Amino acid sequence: MISGIWTEKYRPSKFYEVVGQGDIIKRVESLTNSFNIPHLLFAGPAGTGKSTLALIIVKELFKENWKDNYLELNASDERGINVVREKVKNFARTKSLGKVNFKVIFLDEADALTPEAQQALRRTMENYSATCRFILSCNYSSKIIDPIQSRCAIFRFKLLEKKDIEKVIKRISENENLNIKPEAIEILYEGSEGDCRRAINILQSTAAISPEITTELISTIISNTKPKDIKVVLDYALSGDFQKSREKLLDIMLKESISGQDVIKSIQKEIWNLPVEPEIKVKLTEKTGEIEFRIVEGSDPFIQLQSLLASFVLAGLGK
Amino acid sequence: MSPWIEKYRPEKFEGIKGQDEAIKKIKEFIDNFYLGKLTKNPKKALILHGAPGIGKTSLAYALANEKNFEIFELNASDLRNRDKLQSILKPAIEQKSLVKKNKIILIDEVDGISTTERGGLPELIELIESTRYPLIITANDIWEKNLALIRKKSELVKLKEIDYKTIKEIMIDILRKENLFVDNNILTKIAINSKGDLRAAINDLQAASKIREIETITFDERNKEVDIFSALKEIFQGKPVNKTLETFDSVKMDLDQAILWVEENIPVEYKGEELAKAYEALSKVDVFRGRIYKQQYWRFMVYENILLSYGVSAAKKDIKTGFKIYKKPSRILKMWMNNQRIAKKKSIAQKYAQYVHVGEKRALREFPMIKTILKNPEVHKELKLTEDEIEYLKS
Repeated sequence: MISGIWTEKYRPSKFYEVVGQGDIIKRVESLTNSFNIPHLLFAGPAGTGKSTLALIIVKELFKENWKDNYLELNASDERGINVVREKVKNFARTKSLGKVNFKVIFLDEADALTPEAQQALRRTMENYSATCRFILSCNYSSKIIDPIQSRCAIFRFKLLEKKDIEKVIKRISENENLNIKPEAIEILYEGSEGDCRRAINILQSTAAISPEITTELISTIISNTKPKDIKVVLDYALSGDFQKSREKLLDIMLKESISGQDVIKSIQKEIWNLPVEPEIKVKLTEKTGEIEFRIVEGSDPFIQLQSLLASFVLAGLGK
Repeated sequence: MSPWIEKYRPEKFEGIKGQDEAIKKIKEFIDNFYLGKLTKNPKKALILHGAPGIGKTSLAYALANEKNFEIFELNASDLRNRDKLQSILKPAIEQKSLVKKNKIILIDEVDGISTTERGGLPELIELIESTRYPLIITANDIWEKNLALIRKKSELVKLKEIDYKTIKEIMIDILRKENLFVDNNILTKIAINSKGDLRAAINDLQAASKIREIETITFDERNKEVDIFSALKEIFQGKPVNKTLETFDSVKMDLDQAILWVEENIPVEYKGEELAKAYEALSKVDVFRGRIYKQQYWRFMVYENILLSYGVSAAKKDIKTGFKIYKKPSRILKMWMNNQRIAKKKSIAQKYAQYVHVGEKRALREFPMIKTILKNPEVHKELKLTEDEIEYLKS
């Protein structure tokens, strides 16, 4: 079945289709062709092909039976290392049938695990090494404990360059009968931040409106899909309209489901762009820190943020 | 008021639902005992066994009513020991009933006896052999080892657990007789939860029917509001004095609730510096509340209370006058409603994440972007989205 989601529809299914990772692909391919792989560690930014490569490996190894021999887990979604271990245990209980005598477990975002959890993971990897190979993926290999690193062949994925993203975008545009100008590709690349998934998602969202992909259209899509700005909230507070300000705050927090801690992070950054005296900026920062501390300590984020907004009202009065 | 399980215990066989097979067998047993002589040595005892609350005791009573027999009931607590059993049972078995022709001896929950009473079991076996009246024995689990002999000497009848639909019918019947109304969804939930235990279901039903009616809820709430309004006025407008500390004592509302009222209404009265001071006090109230929960150290409540009353009151420079309309706190409701929406968003993100091999958290972060892609009906099918979820995407 051809997927209606382009990131799936155009996901490479052969080694040579993967863009931008050059050498890595060749090395992984030759490992795969030997029908025996060590544990692998894929390190690199989002949307550079880590999951894709893992999928290609298992498809090459197991052909049409790949789904029976492949377990995909996401460390930041699973509730704790014990859940991961339990799932691994269940999966590894049966042996792989056929030519390849192991199964493959892909653990995405492995750097979300605490060092303690990684120690437990290391034990699990050892216990099932006879029947399973692990492919771990992470953004930063430095966040993976040494004992795990030493058990894996490490591959570092590079951020995709403009020419790589361009290649993908052009291929999709041709296939989907889209009309896209070079300037639009430029904007698209900037918006993607080198993340191929994001680039394709932006392209599909834009194409849903019109097959004529213009720079304006892409810019609108990108800014529309950005989380709402906290600045409005602060502007209302500075102008003295406290009620409006907290209304907006609740609105943003609920609609975007942003946590109190995330809100406070953006407030803290936003302080430096506010039209207030340096002395007041310092005061506000201090207050923001105190409020963040209270939230972290386990207080009600909304009550605490209101108290912070009240300080911005004061700042608006020059106090 | 009597519990419904007693009030609606069926008197005759026809009132017993879902146990037709057992009724047939019990009738046969009695006929055989008194009239039949179909078998040479009819068994003198019948064990009704099965899960709790499916009608074992009711069946025995219904039998007595049908046949106009007198029932002589013993339960586990009556059977302390051999002596007691003998002194109570022997005369009952040997004397003829004065008013009614015949008797049934009912021994309830025999598996209760077997584990707790010493000496009761051999006596019971003796009784089965010597009785002139039929014995009906009920048990949850007859396969306990020490019941082997009793099993051998008795007719066994297993009662089935009751189908949830039957349970629901019975509950509706009761509600009709009580002139009460309980939401159909709740009925279904109770019926399914009961797992065939009719007694539990009826108990749950009675509890559910007692949940305050709408009339009483609003009345109650209204009372509270009058109190909180005057409390807020006292704090926001009045001069902070020692008596201010007692403001919330007279409000029939827990402190958590009161905090929400204060939070909602500070900006109604206070502006500028007062506003900031009042929220600072409230912020600290909240900090102490958090500490109470975390450390289970309830004395912190003193500070919570002082800051919420005197602390907020002292935030102003001068006393205030004039009539202000205080609003009911709306944030919790908004948050609740939003959680319902978020739940749908999460379930969509979950399906998407699995399908395209990304983490759920990332899918949630990228949701504004993904949303437009997911609007495609083809994709709905691909991801097996539910009606609810599709509805959410349209909004």
